[in-house]
Amino acid sequence: MLILYPEKQGSFRETGETHCMRCRRNLYLWASLLLIAFSEVPAKAQDLVPVVSGAAGFIYSKDSGQTALQPILSPVVLIPLGSKLLVESNLEMQGFVARSSPGGPYEGQYFFSVNYLQLDYVVNSHLTIVAGRFLSPFNIFSERIGPIWIQNFQDGPLIYPIGTRTSGSSDGGMIRGVVASRPGWLLNYTAFFSALNNSQYFSAGRAAGTRVGLFLPKANFEVGASYERFLQDHHSNSYGGYFVWQPGTQVSVKAEYAHSPQGQGYWIEGAYRFRESGPLGRALKNIQPIVRGQQFYRLAPGVNDSLPRADTQRVDFGLNYYLPHEIRLNGSYGRQFSSTGNSNNWTLDLTYRFLFPVPFWPKGAQ
Amino acid sequence: MLVLSLLMALRSGARPQQAAAAPKTAAPKINESAEGEKRFRTNCGRCHHPPEDLSPREARAVLRQMRVRAMLSAEDERLILKFLAP
Repeated sequence: MLILYPEKQGSFRETGETHCMRCRRNLYLWASLLLIAFSEVPAKAQDLVPVVSGAAGFIYSKDSGQTALQPILSPVVLIPLGSKLLVESNLEMQGFVARSSPGGPYEGQYFFSVNYLQLDYVVNSHLTIVAGRFLSPFNIFSERIGPIWIQNFQDGPLIYPIGTRTSGSSDGGMIRGVVASRPGWLLNYTAFFSALNNSQYFSAGRAAGTRVGLFLPKANFEVGASYERFLQDHHSNSYGGYFVWQPGTQVSVKAEYAHSPQGQGYWIEGAYRFRESGPLGRALKNIQPIVRGQQFYRLAPGVNDSLPRADTQRVDFGLNYYLPHEIRLNGSYGRQFSSTGNSNNWTLDLTYRFLFPVPFWPKGAQ
Repeated sequence: MLVLSLLMALRSGARPQQAAAAPKTAAPKINESAEGEKRFRTNCGRCHHPPEDLSPREARAVLRQMRVRAMLSAEDERLILKFLAP
């Protein structure tokens, strides 16, 4: 998913700090976190192995007649420490190769980002304390269905920038957990704060927010709400809601709504996985038709807010094909309607999800 | 609500809450792998499919992350481990 935040690209507010000072401050912060982490001696170190997970992918897209090729590598490093701690990090390297002008040669741009680098301390089911850089917990797209091997449509929702400014990640602290759990329901929460950071790879906005979710296991239905207060430049509130519903093992429906002073909108997505039984079961079991509808309404002009410039409607149809060894082939077509111009959007992508123990670790995967 | 959560966390220590929904003592011969699969479908299956071919050590690391991300209880983590890497 390539969403460029203008704040991330430049126009940073002057803070009086030099780049060197910011780098040194970041270095001290991460070194302190790692020192705290490694001071917890692993109780069962022999049972734990750091792993490298994540995904690699290649996306071909034709958006409004412009062809683009996007190779992506998104590794996740997990280092469990003892029974309570985890260091986790996700880097993303993405290329964007396209013609600079009609008929011109293909030219490439490459982006590197640190999506998260965090230390998790699991106190118990009610409380996990997170410090460092983490995905901004606004609604569910970013945290739960954002990875390229999970998301069904490789271009993110139109409303994704709402509640996730300035970079989709936050630098600070977060607490999360289950408030209460009963056989018929489960209530969870997340609350976070983020400091302003203008460094190249760790940029984040000053913000605070919370998310609450209610899960009904018997109905396989989850509903939740999010709130974020953006605390720099012009302070503003963003809020939203979501639901996830799986009425059976084959069907899945997800939706989000988000509102900000600049605009509001929603997306709703459905997917169907065929049963393995039946005369065509063996042929169809790896196929998953998907569909998504979106609407966005511009409420006020925004500068560098990454949202569509005008009211926009969009519908996408696609097909996932699951191959062995965690490889997925996906194709989709979308039609976008906007006063700034209608467009067709074609996407074809191949993703591979990988997972292996850190090389040369004693006993490896045993 | 956050204060309430913190108080509950301190009061209950490491007591897994979802264990109350499926007490271990009620069914000593419970098929833990099947129960783990059920909990995987409930908690993890809302977002993704189960991974292929995980060793127990790899699964522990992945489940630690999922415990944070999906807010699993210790009991969920134990049972899903039985399912992913029996």
